[in-house]
Amino acid sequence: MAFVFNFPDVGEGIHEGRIVEWLVAEGQVVAEDQPLVKVETDKAVVELPSPHSGTVLRLHAVAGADILVGDPLVSIGEPGESAGPKPSRARPSPHSPRSAAAPAAAPPPVPSRRPLATPRTRALARELEVELQHVQGSGPGGRISDDDVRRAAEGGGGAPAAPRREPSARGAVEAARDGEVERVPISHLRKVIANAMRHSKQHSAHVTHVDEADVTELLAHYRRAKPAIEERTGARFTLLPFFIKALVAALREHPMFNATVDEERQEILIKKYVNIGIAVDTPEGLIVPVIRDADRKDMIELAAEVNDKAERARKRELRLDELKGGGCTITNIGPLGGVFATPIINQPELAIIGLHAIKERPEVVNGEIAIRSMMYLSVSFDHRYIDGAEAARFMSDMVRLVSDPMLLMARL
Amino acid sequence: MVVGSVSRGCQVVVIGAGPGGYAAAIRLGQLGKDVILVEKGDTLGGVCLNVGCIPSKAMIHAADLAHEARHSESMGLTVEGLTVDLPKLVQWKDGIVERLTSGVGFLCEKNGVEVVHGEAEFLSDRTLSVSTEDGRVEIEFEQAVIATGSRPMALEGFPHDGERIIGSTEALSLQSVPERLVVIGAGYIGLELGSVYAKLGSKVSVVEFLPQVVPNLDPEVGKLLKRQLKKLGVKLHLEHRAEAFEAGDPSIVIARGPKGEELRLEADVVMVTVGRVPNSGGLGLEAAGVATDDKGFITVDDRQRTSAAGIYAIGDVAGGALLAHKAYQEAKVAAEVIAGEPAAFDNVVPAVIYTDPEVAWVGLTEAEAAAEGYDIITGSFPFSASGRAMSLDSTEGFVKVVADAGSKQLLGVLAVGRGVSEFIAEGTLALEMGAFLEDLALTIHPHPTMSEAFQEAVEAALGRALHKVNK
Repeated sequence: MAFVFNFPDVGEGIHEGRIVEWLVAEGQVVAEDQPLVKVETDKAVVELPSPHSGTVLRLHAVAGADILVGDPLVSIGEPGESAGPKPSRARPSPHSPRSAAAPAAAPPPVPSRRPLATPRTRALARELEVELQHVQGSGPGGRISDDDVRRAAEGGGGAPAAPRREPSARGAVEAARDGEVERVPISHLRKVIANAMRHSKQHSAHVTHVDEADVTELLAHYRRAKPAIEERTGARFTLLPFFIKALVAALREHPMFNATVDEERQEILIKKYVNIGIAVDTPEGLIVPVIRDADRKDMIELAAEVNDKAERARKRELRLDELKGGGCTITNIGPLGGVFATPIINQPELAIIGLHAIKERPEVVNGEIAIRSMMYLSVSFDHRYIDGAEAARFMSDMVRLVSDPMLLMARL
Repeated sequence: MVVGSVSRGCQVVVIGAGPGGYAAAIRLGQLGKDVILVEKGDTLGGVCLNVGCIPSKAMIHAADLAHEARHSESMGLTVEGLTVDLPKLVQWKDGIVERLTSGVGFLCEKNGVEVVHGEAEFLSDRTLSVSTEDGRVEIEFEQAVIATGSRPMALEGFPHDGERIIGSTEALSLQSVPERLVVIGAGYIGLELGSVYAKLGSKVSVVEFLPQVVPNLDPEVGKLLKRQLKKLGVKLHLEHRAEAFEAGDPSIVIARGPKGEELRLEADVVMVTVGRVPNSGGLGLEAAGVATDDKGFITVDDRQRTSAAGIYAIGDVAGGALLAHKAYQEAKVAAEVIAGEPAAFDNVVPAVIYTDPEVAWVGLTEAEAAAEGYDIITGSFPFSASGRAMSLDSTEGFVKVVADAGSKQLLGVLAVGRGVSEFIAEGTLALEMGAFLEDLALTIHPHPTMSEAFQEAVEAALGRALHKVNK
């Protein structure tokens, strides 16, 4: 019988996803490792390669469908072979007894544990289109009651969490009453961002410290170097690598800004490596690829890597391992204007650096007013583990480094 | 009726009138559908009613009575001159079959199900051709349920002739008790009918290719059954492959042992029971777009839908456990799905083997539960410690329960013993309700019954059995 490729466990605790696009069609011959499908998970869009070569007999889910780990995606086999049951949103049948007694029976389906619910409750769940696997039972030992199922049907998700949903449900009703509204489903990425931001705000003691830098000289150096570098590399060279390098140098002096906390064991983990996250604005939302070992790369390499990762972030082509392991994050808001902002820390890091708009402003230099290129730099830090004075010292170090290119060079 | 093609239409056509098919047709009728039930045989009820479950159980009961009558000296009962009139026994059994199959016909009629006798073949996913005695009828349908069942698997070298080489069907209608019966295949059918003839007086040998009887169950069960068969005088030849048949008086069955040695068994009758295959060929499944697996079983999802929209399959032909009660449930699911109801098959399936003693189980075995990653606890209780078992002079067997060590949720029940078929439904209900061991331990079981052993096994799993010493 044909091989049925199920949505694999791609790691990172991911258990659900959404099919973005099929890269193959039924009847198509595929080679081993050929990408079959793009699946959007909590963290990224991943391309799943074919584990076998053969003919695609059936696609078990349509683009846009939500899938769980273990759900059949595609049947691959010889042309004309049976492709297995047609797609169904239903869960596989309960554990092996279905086939236990069969003297000549087909092999049992992949076992899945039975939800703790009576036949009547299971029938109700089917009627209300509630997946019992996602319902938390409120009864003894986690037993799912009829009421749990009804709550899940109303809330559209986990059961006893319902009370928190009420205000937003009321809000939705009011919104609809006041005029026409468009209902847009929330994407996986947006849900992930929402959860991460709320978690960070609830979890850390956020404080933002803002300082000001005179980047006139840095800009002059940059403008001199840019054409030569771009001619040699053929790629756009931005100012960002200077700031990455300045951050790398500052982190060396202030390691708490490149650390994380093991709260269970009450220990601070100070990282001996320097991985810098770069916040990228994509049409679908914020994505933060990580530049690994930024201290060991030159500015041209950093520029190339930032360009590449930002581009692939916009196309949702980053691998999961390119999105994790950061020690400190830079968010470059400057090009979009504004004075300064108070970014939210990218957990489990302890600080995030905001780069704000560079503007020409009158400044007093050596007792005279001069027109200088000025910018605000911010650091949002976790005051539980980093004190304000430390943040101020860290920021003034950053400011010195970006104000004086010679100093930056000396500390590269 | 004019010979030739007659065109008909209906909402739902059901192919096959066994337990799956007739149950689907009746339920569809109850749900207001216009149903045609196509059956290729002369009577309704399929293998189960005609040549399977029911007639074999009638034969087993009669054989048990004869056997017990001959072996009750310890109770002070001596029966002299007990005779077995096999034609009369078969006639009694046929009477039961007749009553049941005509009962099914009555129920179909009362539920508005029209029965057409003939062989069905799909011409497309919306038309079916039925060859009846009066000619060909073409039925245009909106939805179809395939319930064509399964048949005994043939064995090379043993061509079925219905007299010297028979299957289970003929074994239920023999006119005399064969002196020497060789059974090929120690599956449940071979063991059940082999035991019947051993009790009726045949010298029975069983040839089995596998090294164990009922290999999927707890090894204790295989050991116990082997011991019981030996007591009945049944010779069990495990790890022997039946290779050839030499006709003669007596005929000879040649089998090959594990080391290549030849075994020659004298036989008046050879019964081949080596498994069952689905009746999915010749149905025109390709024309309808219905896919099967490599063994020919129709692939279905948990709503009994096949790969062809509007066509459903249930019972043996849809694979899984080849059991009538599984077919009944699938029939109801298919009928309700056709009627637009949110039904699905999400049940545990109990199973029973009517050997002596009976074997019944439901849910996961110890090995299956461990393979699924459960941290398990088990508890068992032997019938040798049961007052009811002693009073029935049937102390063989035990009840064993498997549960999740952490939550104490019941995962499986296995019972071997007299009459355990009657209380395995309790274990099934417990699993469907998601019962914990404590729920079962706190449920009063009537005394004295065999079912008390279930409660005791549960308490043993909790470390507090009353009527045995806890480990």
